[in-house]
Amino acid sequence: MAKQWKEMSPDEKQEELFNRWFSPKDPQGNDLKFQSPQAEKAYKERLTRIKDAIQMKKTPDRVPVIPLPNFSPAFYAGFTPQEVMYDYDKCAQAWKKFVLDFEPDAQMGCAGPGPGKFFETLDYKLYSWPGHGVSPNASYQCNEDEYMTADEYDALIDDPSNFFSNTYLPRAFGKLEGFRMLPALTGILEIYGVAFNFIPFGLPPVQESYKALFEAGAEALKWAGAVMGFDGEMAASGYPAFLAGFTKVPFDVIGDTIRGTRGVMLDMYRQPDKLIEAMERLTPLMIKMGVDAAKMNGRPLVFMPLHKGADGFLSDKQFKKFYWPCFRKVLMGLIDEGVVPFPVAEGGYNSRLEVIKDLPKGKTLWMFDTTDMARAKKTIGQVACISGNMPTDLLAVGTPEQVKDYAKKLIDDASKGGGYIMANGAFFDKVKGENLKAMVDVTKQYGVYK
Amino acid sequence: MEKKWEELTPAEKQEEMFNRWLSPKDPQGNDLKFQSPQAEKVYKERVTRLKDAIQLKKLPDRVPVFPMLSFFPAFYGGINTQEAMYDYEKLAEATRKYVLDLEPDFQFGIGLATPGRVYDILDYKLYAWPGHGVSPRSTYQCQEAEYMMADEYDAFIRDPSYFFTNIYFPRIFGKLEAFKMLPNLPTTQEIVFVGPNIIPYGLPPVQEAYKALFEAGAEALKWAGAVGAFNDEMTALGFPAGGGGFTKAPFDVIGDTLRGTRGIMVDLYRQPDKILEAVEALTPLMISMGVSAAQMAGNPLVMIPLHKGADGFLSDEQFKKFYWPCFRNVLTGLINEGCVPLPFVEGSYNTRLEIIKDIPKGTTFWVFDATDMAKAKKALGDVACIGGNVPTDLLSVGTPQQVKDYVKNLIDTCAPGGGYVVSNGVAADDVKPENVKAMIDFTKEYGVYK
Repeated sequence: MAKQWKEMSPDEKQEELFNRWFSPKDPQGNDLKFQSPQAEKAYKERLTRIKDAIQMKKTPDRVPVIPLPNFSPAFYAGFTPQEVMYDYDKCAQAWKKFVLDFEPDAQMGCAGPGPGKFFETLDYKLYSWPGHGVSPNASYQCNEDEYMTADEYDALIDDPSNFFSNTYLPRAFGKLEGFRMLPALTGILEIYGVAFNFIPFGLPPVQESYKALFEAGAEALKWAGAVMGFDGEMAASGYPAFLAGFTKVPFDVIGDTIRGTRGVMLDMYRQPDKLIEAMERLTPLMIKMGVDAAKMNGRPLVFMPLHKGADGFLSDKQFKKFYWPCFRKVLMGLIDEGVVPFPVAEGGYNSRLEVIKDLPKGKTLWMFDTTDMARAKKTIGQVACISGNMPTDLLAVGTPEQVKDYAKKLIDDASKGGGYIMANGAFFDKVKGENLKAMVDVTKQYGVYK
Repeated sequence: MEKKWEELTPAEKQEEMFNRWLSPKDPQGNDLKFQSPQAEKVYKERVTRLKDAIQLKKLPDRVPVFPMLSFFPAFYGGINTQEAMYDYEKLAEATRKYVLDLEPDFQFGIGLATPGRVYDILDYKLYAWPGHGVSPRSTYQCQEAEYMMADEYDAFIRDPSYFFTNIYFPRIFGKLEAFKMLPNLPTTQEIVFVGPNIIPYGLPPVQEAYKALFEAGAEALKWAGAVGAFNDEMTALGFPAGGGGFTKAPFDVIGDTLRGTRGIMVDLYRQPDKILEAVEALTPLMISMGVSAAQMAGNPLVMIPLHKGADGFLSDEQFKKFYWPCFRNVLTGLINEGCVPLPFVEGSYNTRLEIIKDIPKGTTFWVFDATDMAKAKKALGDVACIGGNVPTDLLSVGTPQQVKDYVKNLIDTCAPGGGYVVSNGVAADDVKPENVKAMIDFTKEYGVYK
């Protein structure tokens, strides 16, 4: 790098992150060795296709196609979701088969299922997972609850990390119960405060909680080894890893796993100012989360699952007041650091399209679920690459012919001039292999730009 | 209590905190057994005397005497400061001798010496202490440096506990170096984020750092046991503890142990807005720090050592803009929870008196060092209890007669109408026992209200 990161413009930073994506590294930090010159060529063609679609500066050679599965590769390889959550080799094996059989333009990685034993070690309460609260054949399920009570906004706002370690984690993880006894570490100022504040670390329940965390961390490390090895192997075979990391919209942080849907809905009426203050507080943390992941992994795309802002969850007025301002700040914060935010709008976003189009061109990638793609193209599609909308139900129970017809219509409606990626609408589990193949194949034929 | 705590007014809360102080509990939460009816009577008289002086509602029976001594009891008992910090039994013995021989109205227990072994275990760098950077007969010494860099205000403001744990601690505790690798806990949200976020706890250097912390915690626990037992013993004998909680003025938090004096002075000119933002962010944390310790101790006094706002450190304009507003908010926050802030004003505050008198009546107790006490009485006499000003040099090299003369003048000047407490100006270490005795005895004799 000739220029220091801090001196670069957002455009230059984005270009730099794309460059790093084009030159993947092995775990030692050296240039990754491709399996063959063809694999390297395919890797770079695929990435160029994706980059052109996102940047909207020129039309790609064809519409990129990227199926984004949830547990689908497990089913496709003949495993249950439970098996791939507990056997990381099986997980990598299943995801590898999925990638090599369908030959997508990028792959999602095999981190989605997550390490089952890790969750058991910590007695994770926020989710049920295959074989632990839901069937071994099902996907995991969030157990929504008020993990933060209505009167705790100030604690979250005043010191987010203190709130998470001392209040939230003991509620979400049974084995971290001892963290309730942890001190406010910001009390360690002068010499007088040191011993006094460190007393809790001498207490057995606190030490037990940390021991559980060490054990879980060791398991996570083992799992990460398998997962990251997978990304490297796929890259060497010519398939770029799609995502660098995650972040969330501040409203969803509160509404999903802190206050829950019911909680956040009541708070909009009972304590709207606290809700806004908390979201403002979370905004820089969510920016940092995405930026750190993009820089660490050397890729620009940061996934943002969108939940509580969908059509029907909030009125237009509420969306504009509560959801969009901090969401946009997160997007802009990411864009300023060269990151390409990848918001995934689960549900419908028809009533939001006019609002969200207020963004710089060629800086974001949107995935839509049930949103009308022709309308999306006319609005947000003028400034951002759009994708998605292939329905999971069609992939699950339709025929390859129906899938092809649907995909062609999507290409007709949304791909004109570039800025479109073929993808499914929601992360899917059990679907028909021939339907996925149909989606990929038709895009590769019909999606070529002439 | 008939009313719930939240429903009480600040005045009612203060009354309740004094009631708790008047009815001390043993570690099991039962009423503490006094050694004799006489001890109980004297205990209650002493607390009531200070309460009357603070509340300014009625004249106390006499002027309370409140010696603020740090290592003096150790010297009095014939041990050096190093022994005081490493041998809790020896320090208890020395302190017991001081209290029983000189019979002050309030005692500070054995907690101010603080445990050297905890610092050894953690490789504490912020201070030199007896036998570890300073002579075994000296007191400890803060080693000011920029433990927070000029460009780290945002990181601190955004998430104070994260900054402390992941950035500040690795700099001030050699053994917590690996905390640099700790995750950002508020990003522990959806199931897919959890595994990656917990990985650092699986890394050996992180686990080693926690092991050091557990060891330090176990030592701190042992020390706290000795501190608590000594306080209970003194209480049972009729000597109330002079301290409940501890907190700081937000400006001093930054100027003492984060940026240091030089750092904050430069920041006043180069980035004044960041200082203002940081002191705002610290305010609720400093309130909660004082309140929680006072609640735990069942004692309303919250000591606040004041440093960088003294005469000569800041201009009037700077004091009014940077120091006082958040300091006042901390005072008010403490007062609203029934605490009695005890600002310990090191240096002099002659130019600040007209500013600081803007506080509710009968809610604070100011101990001054070199401030002109006649001016202090004039400015603050109607709203606050004041004390202090017996000079350490006088206690150190003067004669008992000189001490008596000095105290007589103070009582003549400040005691009329109540609201005055005899105390020394800065915490005293190696001073003459006969001079401390003269200060205590003379107050008891001459300070009686008729």
